[in-house]
Amino acid sequence: MDELNKSDERRGDSVTTLSDNLLLERISRGDAASFETVFHQHYDRVYGLLFRLVGNRVEAEDLAQDVFLKLYNHAYRQRLFLRSREHNISAWLYRVATNMGYNAIRGRQRRWQRNMTLVPDPQGIPGAETEVEKREVATAVRAALAHLKPRQVQLLLMRQMGFSYAECAVACNIAPGSVGTLLSRAAKAFREAYEDVGGDQRLEIRD
Amino acid sequence: MPQSEKELQSVMNQLSVLEPTTADTPQTSSQALARVNHQIEQQVQNGFSYRLRRFVMSDNRRFAYAAFLFILLFGAAFSFPSVRAAASDFLGLFRVQKFAAISVSPEQIAILERVAEEGLTPGELEIINEPGDLVAADSLKAAQESTGLAAVRTLPELGDPDEIWVADGGNGRLTVDLEGARAIVAATGADPMLLPDSLDGAVVDVAVYAGIQQQWADGTMLMQTASPVVDYPDDVNPTVLGEALLQVLGMNDDEAHRLAQNIDWTSTLLLPIPQEFASFNEVTVEGVSGLALNSLDGHGSALFWQKDGIVYLLLGPDMTADELVSLAGTLK
Repeated sequence: MDELNKSDERRGDSVTTLSDNLLLERISRGDAASFETVFHQHYDRVYGLLFRLVGNRVEAEDLAQDVFLKLYNHAYRQRLFLRSREHNISAWLYRVATNMGYNAIRGRQRRWQRNMTLVPDPQGIPGAETEVEKREVATAVRAALAHLKPRQVQLLLMRQMGFSYAECAVACNIAPGSVGTLLSRAAKAFREAYEDVGGDQRLEIRD
Repeated sequence: MPQSEKELQSVMNQLSVLEPTTADTPQTSSQALARVNHQIEQQVQNGFSYRLRRFVMSDNRRFAYAAFLFILLFGAAFSFPSVRAAASDFLGLFRVQKFAAISVSPEQIAILERVAEEGLTPGELEIINEPGDLVAADSLKAAQESTGLAAVRTLPELGDPDEIWVADGGNGRLTVDLEGARAIVAATGADPMLLPDSLDGAVVDVAVYAGIQQQWADGTMLMQTASPVVDYPDDVNPTVLGEALLQVLGMNDDEAHRLAQNIDWTSTLLLPIPQEFASFNEVTVEGVSGLALNSLDGHGSALFWQKDGIVYLLLGPDMTADELVSLAGTLK
């Protein structure tokens, strides 16, 4: 996936820079090239964010596509109002992606404990025990995230994905100077939620 | 490294378990784009929600312009801005209490489009305060504070809305030019003499108020706003103007005359619905009369109703009108 992100960054660098307002306006008028530009620039990272939340490739792909479909509709809706408002497409995309993934895991929250019992017995399958443990931890982590506020989830995941503090600030619509503090609070909330869901009693994945 | 940074790093390490592996590599962005483009194509062709949204938000600008100018002229603007003038000589008052619909044929829409292209205007339009930008709100509470609505209702069954938008109201004034207004009526095939001489120079003030739009991931959308208000001179007979409006929208003389007498034009907002777009019927929503639009392809419905001075639009892309009525019953 690192490779994916790197290739995405390379592609982003080669894109002609247009203001987000102009891009949105062009998209709203059906300009396929502008939509493609935005899509290629952000798809992999939007997918990456969603995968971290839902943990399933097909579901993350579907949600990512829904995010861009929403962007298309959003662009239209903004057409009449573009003149006096500054838009930030990446901030919008990651916020909507977070909300969609967050809603998905919250809906799943009640089921996650039951899912634990559905994990197949790893005995006798080489390497399977570690894989199952990892899956259990991931499930607990997602359950903990579902207890956080959406913005805290977004901040933690974007930072984990390697977004800079400045990028996090823009995407979460917060002051750059507040990112560190809010990240610390989000991390604290996560640790508490992780304990609440019993994640701390599971085997931690070692680095 | 400070303790807080260590703790943050520890959480980052925990979150790394969520990273996709090589086996989780998604399809290429080009493949994904092709799928999204296909969805957009389908949406444009079939999506009731998309089409209704465009319709409501006047995407079909030329049609909207023609229909809208006349609606404004007659004093029943739904989405147009304006203001309530304090002048004592404006005694007529329109406030939305009910909705009615009229089916408009593609042929009539084409005529209205041509009228709009000709640039005919029914008078001098002055926008006193443009409606505010559509602005994202962080919460319903923030939206309520921003719009000043006494209460904001939502649909708890659907969970928190994914998007909340607010827009300020606005106001405007139309000073009628009878010659221009009659030219529009005549160009649509209606009888221009339905517009009385006394209409010349009449001043119509329209006000729309701040509103809130909530949207959920499944496409359900709820809009609410205080009822728009239209003031018009007391010597303007809204029934006569309503009859002219019905003719402009394609109804024949006799039908227009008969129907115009049965509508309370001081409280009924007439929505022109393109014939190939949706059917409609009256429904009871929250104990009041409402209007249901039903997508002709069966992919969605919409409800309009007014209760306690608030106008609501509820849109469900994959719901029947009955399901929407039930959903409206869960409003809190």
